[in-house]
Amino acid sequence: MNTEHLDEEMRDVFQEIANVAMGRAADLLARLLNNYVVLPIPVVNLLERSELNMALSSLRAVDSVSAVCQGFVGSRISGEALLIFNDTSFQDIAELTEFKGDITPEVELELLMDIANILIGACLKGLAEQLDVSFSQGQPVLLGQHLNLYDLVNNQTGTRKRALTIEIPYRLESRNVDCDLLLLFTEDSLAVLESKVRFMLE
Amino acid sequence: MSTPVLICDDSSFARKQVRRALPADWDISVSFASNGEEGLTAIKEGKGDVVFLDLTMPVMDGFEVLEAIKVQDLSCLVVVISGDIQPEAMARVKRLGAVDFIKKPVDASRLQQVLADFGIYTG
Repeated sequence: MNTEHLDEEMRDVFQEIANVAMGRAADLLARLLNNYVVLPIPVVNLLERSELNMALSSLRAVDSVSAVCQGFVGSRISGEALLIFNDTSFQDIAELTEFKGDITPEVELELLMDIANILIGACLKGLAEQLDVSFSQGQPVLLGQHLNLYDLVNNQTGTRKRALTIEIPYRLESRNVDCDLLLLFTEDSLAVLESKVRFMLE
Repeated sequence: MSTPVLICDDSSFARKQVRRALPADWDISVSFASNGEEGLTAIKEGKGDVVFLDLTMPVMDGFEVLEAIKVQDLSCLVVVISGDIQPEAMARVKRLGAVDFIKKPVDASRLQQVLADFGIYTG
C-alpha cells in the first residue's frame, strides 16, 4: 500500500468491513443498554500519530473524556483500539444498566472497562473474520479519566509513524451517550492489510 | 422483459458483493445508486422493481428511502442488506415495508432463499 496516500478503493473496502464489524458490536451494546445505537459511517484515514486529533472528529478538544486502549496483534497485523467516552455519558449508562448508587470514578472505570470489552472485542472479531485473519488482544489499559481530549491525544504522540485509522463514533438514539471507537493499524501492517483486501476484491 | 433491479449502497465494494450474489440466470437489468437520494430517483425512473437497499448511507439513509417509498406509494419490492443487525433495525425496516432483511456481508444462498421465499425469482 502506498503509505503516503490511501487510494479510494482501499478506503471503500475498509469502510465497508468496518461498517459490518461495528454493526455487530453495536448490536451487543444495544442489548446491554436496551437502547437503539445509531450507526455512523466509519471514517477511514491514513494519518501521522501527531495528527490523531484529526481522527477524532466527533469529539471536541475541550470535552472531558475517559479512555481505554487495547493492543492487538496477529497474522502480521498489529494495532491498537482506543475507546474514548465523553464523561457526560456515564450518568445515562449507569441508569441504563440499572446501577444503583453513587457514580464514583471507580464505578465509571468499571462501566468503561465493561463497554470497552464488548465493543473492542466484537469489532476486532468482525474485522478479523472478514479479512480472514486472527487477532490476539492484549489487556485493556486505562489511559485516563476526566482528561480533556487535547491532553489525551498529546500523550499519545510517542511514535512518528503513520497509521491507518478507522473512527467509529457511536451514540444512542434516545440517551446522552457518546463514545468514539478508534482503531489504529500500524504502518508495518499496511502491506498485509492491502494484500488481504486485494484478495477480497478478486 | 428483464426485471429492473437496483442495488443501493454507498460502498462500491458492497454493491459488487450484492451483484455477485444474484443468481446468474436471473433475467435482470441492474442499476446502481450510491446513496438513498440517487436510489429514490432511480426507483422513480422505473429502474428498481426489486431494490437491494443498504441502511447506513450519506445524504439519505435506507430508513428515509423506505419512508419515501411508503409516503409516495412507489411500487417496488425492497430487500434491506445491512450491517446494522440490531433487532430494532430489522423491526423498523419491516414496519416501513421492506420484505426482508439480510445481514452483511451478503451470503448468496441466503439472498437466493429470500428471492424464492417472496416469489421474486424461483430459479
